[in-house]
Amino acid sequence: MKRTPLIPLALLLLVAAVFLAVPAMSQQDMTTVPTEGFKQTTRLPAVFAHDAHNEKAALADCSACHHGEKDGKRDNSADTSGIPCSDCHSAQAKPGKTPLMRAFHRQCMGCHMDKQKGPVTCGDCHEPAPKK
Amino acid sequence: MKTIADRLIEDVGLRRGVDRLTPEKIQKVFKELVAGECGARMKTYMETCVRCGMCAKACHYYMSHKDPSYTPVAKVSQTMWRLFDADGKVDPKVIYECAQVAYTECNLCRRCIHYCPLGIDTGYIISVVRRLCHKLGVTPQYIQDTAHSHSATMNQMWVKDDEWPDTLQWQEEEAREEFPGLRIPLDVEGADFMYSVIAPEPKFRTQLIYQAAAIFNAAGVSWTMPSTPGWDNSNMAMFTGDSEIMARIERAHYETAQRLRVKRIVMGECGHAFRAVYDVGNRWLGWKWHPVPVVHSVDFFWQLIQEGRIKLTHKYAEPVTIHDPCNIIRGRGLMEKLREVTHFLCENVVEMTPNREHNYCCCAGGGVINCGPPFKNVRIVGNSIKAEQLKATGVHTLVAPCHNCHGGLEDIISKFGLNMHTKFLGDLIYELMEKPEAE
Amino acid sequence: MHALFNLAVGPLAWLAFALFILGSAYRLMAMRALALKKDASFVAYISWPHALKSLAHWITPFGALGWRENPGVTVVTFAFHICLFLVPLFLMGHIALFDAFHGWSWPALPDTVADTLSIVVVAACLYFLWRRIAVPEVRFITRTHDWLVLALVGATFLTGVLAYHRIGDNLFMTTLHILCGEAMLVAIPFTRLSHMLFGFFSRGYIASEFGSVRHAKDW
Repeated sequence: MKRTPLIPLALLLLVAAVFLAVPAMSQQDMTTVPTEGFKQTTRLPAVFAHDAHNEKAALADCSACHHGEKDGKRDNSADTSGIPCSDCHSAQAKPGKTPLMRAFHRQCMGCHMDKQKGPVTCGDCHEPAPKK
Repeated sequence: MKTIADRLIEDVGLRRGVDRLTPEKIQKVFKELVAGECGARMKTYMETCVRCGMCAKACHYYMSHKDPSYTPVAKVSQTMWRLFDADGKVDPKVIYECAQVAYTECNLCRRCIHYCPLGIDTGYIISVVRRLCHKLGVTPQYIQDTAHSHSATMNQMWVKDDEWPDTLQWQEEEAREEFPGLRIPLDVEGADFMYSVIAPEPKFRTQLIYQAAAIFNAAGVSWTMPSTPGWDNSNMAMFTGDSEIMARIERAHYETAQRLRVKRIVMGECGHAFRAVYDVGNRWLGWKWHPVPVVHSVDFFWQLIQEGRIKLTHKYAEPVTIHDPCNIIRGRGLMEKLREVTHFLCENVVEMTPNREHNYCCCAGGGVINCGPPFKNVRIVGNSIKAEQLKATGVHTLVAPCHNCHGGLEDIISKFGLNMHTKFLGDLIYELMEKPEAE
Repeated sequence: MHALFNLAVGPLAWLAFALFILGSAYRLMAMRALALKKDASFVAYISWPHALKSLAHWITPFGALGWRENPGVTVVTFAFHICLFLVPLFLMGHIALFDAFHGWSWPALPDTVADTLSIVVVAACLYFLWRRIAVPEVRFITRTHDWLVLALVGATFLTGVLAYHRIGDNLFMTTLHILCGEAMLVAIPFTRLSHMLFGFFSRGYIASEFGSVRHAKDW
């Protein structure tokens, strides 16, 4: 009697499930820039796959984006990972502060324009998110 | 597409003028003209016209022919744009074409301004084309003759210095048969107004002087006529582009009125003469407003009626229609007064459409009729739209308070068999008024 | 293409706005000086009440005889010019650029509205193109300059619509759109498009002449 492949198959599935489940708990399921900070949006949320982006851009330093603030200026030495952008950059900012949309646009476009890589036009970011 | 080059008409004045030209000569004169006499207006008009073609429907020539080379903008395109594009260095035959367009295919009636969102004054542009042609010595023979007459005699029709008072006295004598107390007062200093006419009146429409004298006599007004040159208020030099002669004529006219110390000048029923005295001459002479107030007959008759100085025996019974001449309607806003006078005189007034400021031109004014027989058909065939407009009223009497309009409309009426006749307001008033002294 | 995009939204944008604003100011001042020098006998008759009254009549659709007798042109011309101003000034994408680069922000039109208005401009350009080709009296007076100006405006809005709908490579289309728009801005003071600067004055002048000298209306 041959051994049934059922058990190894189940094991394989279990491993696969674990592997799939772990990224699901990290930012790997992020497909767009978070828009919770906006009361209403004009366009589709900007497409942004966090981990894939960082891998492609070879970004290891979180504070490159998740920066802090010192004396009303951007402070790249502080790492603010985990704090939602909109906690500091509210959609309607007080004078001297950078509102959320401007912060996003400067963050993404500014870097892409500097590096001359990645999307810079409206339509290249604000497109329908790829289906999960 | 057809252009002006396909319909050139032989005119000895144009031909001789063009034969003397070279492209270099033309360019020199053109550049002098642009640098010397044109400014921001010409520059703006040349640059900003967006070539929308909306002005096409404004022009009686286009509406009659439905040919794209007759629209106001097409006339500019075939003249001024060509000159500017070539910086004035054009073949002499281009000047022939420019002259024919400018002198015979545009009446400077300014109706097209009602169609241009940018307010481009096509009449002004065409006047500058005429000015260039004049400076180049390319003007139609017949109208040039009238300008020569102005230059030599200060009147349009070679009326000699002695023929003028003679004609007035002759008309006075004739009128005294009917109105024994009538005078045509010559050179009366301090009279209320100086009455001025165009030279064709003493030359071949003397009854108009007679009628005017009869009306003034019945109205009991204080008036005078000059016995000296300066009596002719017409100005063909204005239409040939001869601004220097134009200004001499206007100066003579105003100075005659000033010498007589009259309060104002009253003019006969002529449109272009009114334009010259009221709007053009003063500007060239650097006077913001006319130094002696100028009143057109329509306005003057209206005032006489308001003052109750004209009394009628009866009203004109047959229905009439009103032709609005460009120079006193678009040129002076007399449309309502013209109507009030006409309604005062006539039982039944049938309006033609369009009317008032929007009326179609007679196609004779602007010097076109003065270009004479070679171009007669240009203005008659080129105004079939007017014939249609007149026909649609269904009336047989046409009131037109302008000499040029009379000439042009009579030709149209006869060519298109309209069975109408034209009348001046003076004709009607004379016919209908109470003539207490008359024997 | 990235480098060109950077150039287009950076130095070229500065250049275009500078040429447009300074060029327009220069042209207006130079024209004013010329008018005062050479057209004094006409400048003397300028009358603001008549000018404003006439302008009011002419910016009213079907207000003037010219508009009434050319209904097609009237509808399209008004739609075209209104959209031509609204879209560039109140499009979210344009505001976002000013916001990101300069921190200037103002209310925007909803995207779908702006999109529709842009398509209206493209359609209007097609109508004008058709007129230039098919209407004899317009064909007769059309020169190279007119085709170029129409193409410039048409291309600017067409590339804008295509970029918005993400048709074609977006970076390419957007860059082309920006370059066309900048060319159009620069063209305003120096081409037929200068009717945007001078049109009000030529209308105002002729209205003064008709109103205060001739006691007639010019509409």
